[in-house]
Amino acid sequence: MFGRKTAVEPRMTWEKNNEAAVGAEIKVENVSISFPNTANGEIIEALRNVDLTIERGQFISLVGPSGCGKTTLLRAIADLQQPTSGEISVRGQNPRDVRLQKKYGIVFQSPVLYDWRSVRRNVCMPMELMGLPKKHRTKMVTEMLDLVGLLDFGSKYPKELSGGMQQRVGIARALAIRPEILLMDEPFSALDEFTKEKLNEDLLEIWSKTKTTIVFVTHNISEAVFLSDKVVVLSPHPGRVSAVVDIDLPRPRTLDIKNEAEFGALVAKVRSSFEGV
Amino acid sequence: MKNIREKLSKFDFSAILAPVLFGVFIMILWQTQLLHKLIGTDVFTLPLPGRIVRIILDNSPTILQNTGATLIAALGGLLFGSLLGYLLGVLAAIFPKWGSGGLTIVSAFNAVPIIAIAPILNNLTKSISDEPQIRSMVAKILVVTLTSMIPMSVNAYRGLTNVKPFSEDLMKSLAASNWEIFSKLRLPNSVEYIFTALRISVPGAVISALVSEYFAEFIIGVGRQIRENIVLAQYATAWSYITVACLVGIILYVLLLIAEHAVLKKRR
Repeated sequence: MFGRKTAVEPRMTWEKNNEAAVGAEIKVENVSISFPNTANGEIIEALRNVDLTIERGQFISLVGPSGCGKTTLLRAIADLQQPTSGEISVRGQNPRDVRLQKKYGIVFQSPVLYDWRSVRRNVCMPMELMGLPKKHRTKMVTEMLDLVGLLDFGSKYPKELSGGMQQRVGIARALAIRPEILLMDEPFSALDEFTKEKLNEDLLEIWSKTKTTIVFVTHNISEAVFLSDKVVVLSPHPGRVSAVVDIDLPRPRTLDIKNEAEFGALVAKVRSSFEGV
Repeated sequence: MKNIREKLSKFDFSAILAPVLFGVFIMILWQTQLLHKLIGTDVFTLPLPGRIVRIILDNSPTILQNTGATLIAALGGLLFGSLLGYLLGVLAAIFPKWGSGGLTIVSAFNAVPIIAIAPILNNLTKSISDEPQIRSMVAKILVVTLTSMIPMSVNAYRGLTNVKPFSEDLMKSLAASNWEIFSKLRLPNSVEYIFTALRISVPGAVISALVSEYFAEFIIGVGRQIRENIVLAQYATAWSYITVACLVGIILYVLLLIAEHAVLKKRR
């Protein structure tokens, strides 16, 4: 039962992602997903006929009320959930191959840190799975913790950190393997407004340095507009795409942008596509 | 040194003060024979603490020898039982379809009293060696093995399967192999549960060892000496073995708590 160790070429630098290549990074074609409810066995239609194209290096948000299948879509892209019909391709490959090449970084709703590992060793864990040399791991851990502003907390244990700090460790861990695609599933939803806004700003800064493609799931419209190049609005029962709103606000963005009329107009635009649901 | 002092200053002494004072109070009642009047007994059946301590000191070589035999049975059984129990937990985690149901049956064995198991195992192991000393020890270790295996298997299974939400998804998203998921997630996650099991099985192992000595063919061990001396109406000696039995149980439990603190302090 215990098998197979895939050899993966270490991605040592960001350069690979910096090739400002344009083209479809992720293509979701006519995807429907149904699965039985764990409680009563009823079939839930989570997604119906979803089409979506995400360009390389883009920051995309999936927004929608609970039950609209936004998390299911993210999990399908990550090959943690299989489409019932339709097809997903990531850089022309199927998601399973991309997952086995360890090109995904995922940040979940909860930080999912291992309590028995220090902050440094938590960030290090994915690189251990990739079989990267120790010297490289140490260097990357330091770099990543510096990036999320937790360099002084490396020897702490998860239980000693606040929720916001734990989530930042989760982000550092996802970034440490230089993922080509970063999938974030409501990473800040459990945090207070102040911490969330601070982390939003930090995330944009990190993204501008790494230029990773990011798919970000949230139910917070303002957060989605602030972060994204494109907001995909999903409507529930069954989940389907009801609108795609391009966010052409200038970058780099700071929190001040939220006070501007343009920002308010975009938020209103996204919200109005909800009302049509 | 500074660390220890800091920890001591943080420690809440009032929490243990009340029970210690209560203990001292009982000892004073006991030594002054007021206790005997209260419960209507005499110093022959309930010897004074001073006499019990003197007997322990005077007979220390014999007592140590018997304590050694009890410790071998208790710790030997605890070791085999815990290893076996953990292995069962691993098997149950690998085959969850059979595992969770199987463990329910295993934990049902918990309801069988040691007094019932001990004589049976004693009979079953009769042909294992020509030396009564050895075959008795094997029987005793087997009893303790059985009793410590059960809490370990149930808790190991829980520790191996009760991982935080999304932590398996995290491993899958990194294309971790089953062995990597086991060694980097399930195994370390189960450590806390191993200590939960030991908190049950360490005192259990001492009790099982003491009781199984009653039924063993070869006469040795703290439990057996309690019985032998009561039969001979040597109550003072019996009481000194009872005291030793208590000490063995308490010391092993305290050692466990220290080990638990050392291993788990960081993750709490």
